[in-house]
Amino acid sequence: MISLSDIPSRSTVRHWVPIAVLALALAFAPWWLPTVGLYQYLGIEITIWMIFALGFNLLFGYAGLHSFGHGAYLGIGAYAFGLFQQQVAVSLWGGLAAAIFAAGLAGAVVGAFISHRRGIYYALLTIAFGQVFWFTSMKLHGITGGEDGLLGIPRPPLTFFGLEFSLRDNLALFYLSAFCLLATVLILWRLVHSPFGRVLQALRQNETRARFAGYEVWRFKWAAFVISAMFAGLAGGLFSMAQQSAYPDVMSLHQSGLIVMMVLVGGGLVSFWGPVFGVILYFVTRDVLGGITETWLLWFGLMFMAMVILRPEGLAGMFHLAWNRLRGARAVSTPLTSEPDLAGRKT
Amino acid sequence: MAFFAARNMHKRFGSRVVLEDISLAFEKGQVSGIMGPNGAGKTTCFHVLTGLHKPDRGTIELEGVSIAGLPPQRIARLGVSRSFQIMNLFDDSVVIENVMLALPEFRARRLDFLGGVFERGELVDAAMNVLEQVGLTHRAWERATSLSYGERRALEIGVALAAQPKILFLDEPTSGLGTEATRGLATLIGRLRERYTIVMIEHDMRFLFGLADKISVIHWGQVIAEGTPAELQANKWVRRSALGEAAGA
Amino acid sequence: MVDLLPHILNGLTLGLLFALIALGFTMIVGVMEIINLAHGSLFALGAYFALSMLGGSWFGDTAFGAWWLSLSVETRYVAALFVGPLLAAIAGMALELCLRPTYRKAPLYGLLLTFGAALVIEEIIRLGWGTGEQNLAIPSAINGPVLVAGFIYSKYKFFAAGFSLLAIVAVWLFLEKTPYGAIIKAGAHDSEMVRALGYDLSKLRLLVFGFGAALAGLAGIVMVPIWGLRPHVGVDVVIPAFLIIVMGGIGSFWGAVAAALMVGLAVGITGAYAGAWATMSMYILLIVVVGFRSRGLFGRKSVLEN
Repeated sequence: MISLSDIPSRSTVRHWVPIAVLALALAFAPWWLPTVGLYQYLGIEITIWMIFALGFNLLFGYAGLHSFGHGAYLGIGAYAFGLFQQQVAVSLWGGLAAAIFAAGLAGAVVGAFISHRRGIYYALLTIAFGQVFWFTSMKLHGITGGEDGLLGIPRPPLTFFGLEFSLRDNLALFYLSAFCLLATVLILWRLVHSPFGRVLQALRQNETRARFAGYEVWRFKWAAFVISAMFAGLAGGLFSMAQQSAYPDVMSLHQSGLIVMMVLVGGGLVSFWGPVFGVILYFVTRDVLGGITETWLLWFGLMFMAMVILRPEGLAGMFHLAWNRLRGARAVSTPLTSEPDLAGRKT
Repeated sequence: MAFFAARNMHKRFGSRVVLEDISLAFEKGQVSGIMGPNGAGKTTCFHVLTGLHKPDRGTIELEGVSIAGLPPQRIARLGVSRSFQIMNLFDDSVVIENVMLALPEFRARRLDFLGGVFERGELVDAAMNVLEQVGLTHRAWERATSLSYGERRALEIGVALAAQPKILFLDEPTSGLGTEATRGLATLIGRLRERYTIVMIEHDMRFLFGLADKISVIHWGQVIAEGTPAELQANKWVRRSALGEAAGA
Repeated sequence: MVDLLPHILNGLTLGLLFALIALGFTMIVGVMEIINLAHGSLFALGAYFALSMLGGSWFGDTAFGAWWLSLSVETRYVAALFVGPLLAAIAGMALELCLRPTYRKAPLYGLLLTFGAALVIEEIIRLGWGTGEQNLAIPSAINGPVLVAGFIYSKYKFFAAGFSLLAIVAVWLFLEKTPYGAIIKAGAHDSEMVRALGYDLSKLRLLVFGFGAALAGLAGIVMVPIWGLRPHVGVDVVIPAFLIIVMGGIGSFWGAVAAALMVGLAVGITGAYAGAWATMSMYILLIVVVGFRSRGLFGRKSVLEN
């Protein structure tokens, strides 16, 4: 079975294939989305949530830190972007920077508080902080617009070396969002395979041993929290542009729970791409199943519960098993005795 | 001045005094043994010496530098390394990564967000070097969980070695090993003693008496006897409490 | 200072209700070593079940329904007080059965499962009873204002406090004076020992879960006129429940009661000064307590630390 801690084979082809596939799918989305009965705005939503989910999985899957209140950072990013447009300047890069910074700052404060903790204490503190942020955004009517939300957030134009592109059209925003997603994928991919990323994974596997190997464990936990909050902030900024508004409900436990469910169901516990699968599954369920019945979220939740019990390796894990079965018994019986390639890695 | 010295260490948990005024000294380049019945406080002693617990009283010094009360990661960086009786490995990772994570040269790179790991020849070579010392190079790219018990024991020691420690604490390294594997481990430690200062907790008397230069016997949280294997075998206290009997015979 | 009295009374009432919830929660944690994030949902279910029972909506237009509605509010209320928790207990036991496969796995899975269950139950509530605020019909005998020390206070809150106190005493009697209670206490202390003594651990777990759920459901019903009833109420309850058992110590009966009263008072008094922020004070309190002193007031290392 695959694991997040597997070493990527050095073969360049294997390495870049999924990323290339994603890039192509994104590039041609405006063409194939309608053919499967979906629509442009959905493409924006999906890419935004993929950014959120991938960043979240750095914390949840790779570092093994279970945050159940991460929606707060998406929300903070959204509000920060909106407030920046309204109070400072109408600027795309400024707004996104503000979103990332604000969410990162919140993550830094909360992270500093919780990173010495483990297990259930950690989880419950993330819920508590999430609720505090949610509650605050509902009550601070003057700043956030309270329950009515922050409305009228503009979509500032994209300026790049003197060229200006309007983002008012969903198609244009989709491409911006897709670009951000690709950047996210590349950054996170390098990050999880870097020394820093391997240390995070070591922490997940055995915190005691990591400590005895000389690592300041809580600093790494803190860093993972901040980084994942920053990606959430980026997603939030894009989200507020997409909706042209920001509401407290993304900070609710409900929404924070959704990202957990997506990531697990997709296979985030065993694969880098798990969150991607999870987001796709969620939105397909929402739009396809949702078209049939009002109780679609209930079914998604029940599916989540079933997978926790039966298939915690999620979709990615199931795909991997199926792929191995297709390739025949040889592949299944042993990743252990396969010939290492030139650099000594198993292929 | 001893290479590593603990004086008047005292540790209690709740109302139970586990270590009572213990003093131990380990000389550089030697293999020191710690033995005693179960519950005597041996493992707690290790925990205190390596930083998992803070001593209530007492001093602990490595080359004259006080380390009592420091957190384990600081103590580890100062050159103290240990293996655990209940093994603490990175199970999802491959064997070579387990060792690599403990290398000082890897640790120096820990804030590197973007660089590679397994592409770096020097890290891989350094890790393979360590694996060679414990005889695990042929399993380098297997996941740690897939190793046999004996191999995991060797890996446990390998991870402790990788840190290039000044002093190496081994907590019951023969635990669970059969005769063949124990012999292999004795040979391994025989090789390691040339390069490292080693302190071992052991129940296997024959193993310990065969390797240690000096042994401390701990019972009821106190050192009740100390000396070379020969001296201890002659010690009637030790003989009387079934410890010496088993090995001496 | 006199102005504070109603808030203190509020706080005590809240505290007693919290104690009821926390007792069920701590029993489950003690015997099963899992944090049931869905405990609040069981609380909510109890209330919603009672709502449907009282209102007779389950019986629709049948003859039974008509007869049912002809009964006095008092009778229906009392019946709901029995049946609601019973139904919550059944839900709780169903949840325990779902949790079984996760016992031998890492604690993460149990946590995720109860978390998922909490969301699923909230969704079921939303679908079954709507997302809006609901009200429970209560007998006029316990409804209405009453004059206390010169100010007007709610009769219901006295009822709620008194009822909770009775329930707490009943739970105490059960744990101390009956053989089942003894087994549960032993199980909370050392489940391995209980199994070694020959008791069926899985049946014990099932019963404890059901019992804990029933307590939560009961608290849910009684709490409605005080806290309101909406799908989100389940989440709002889990946090103080956890906070209380952390403060009071796992498995400690009086610890839970004492801590519950403290938390209730804190919320009640915050209500005096900052109205709407009272609920949030629970979260702040959790952050402060767990952030700084996670071993609780009684400082024992517990199973939660894994």
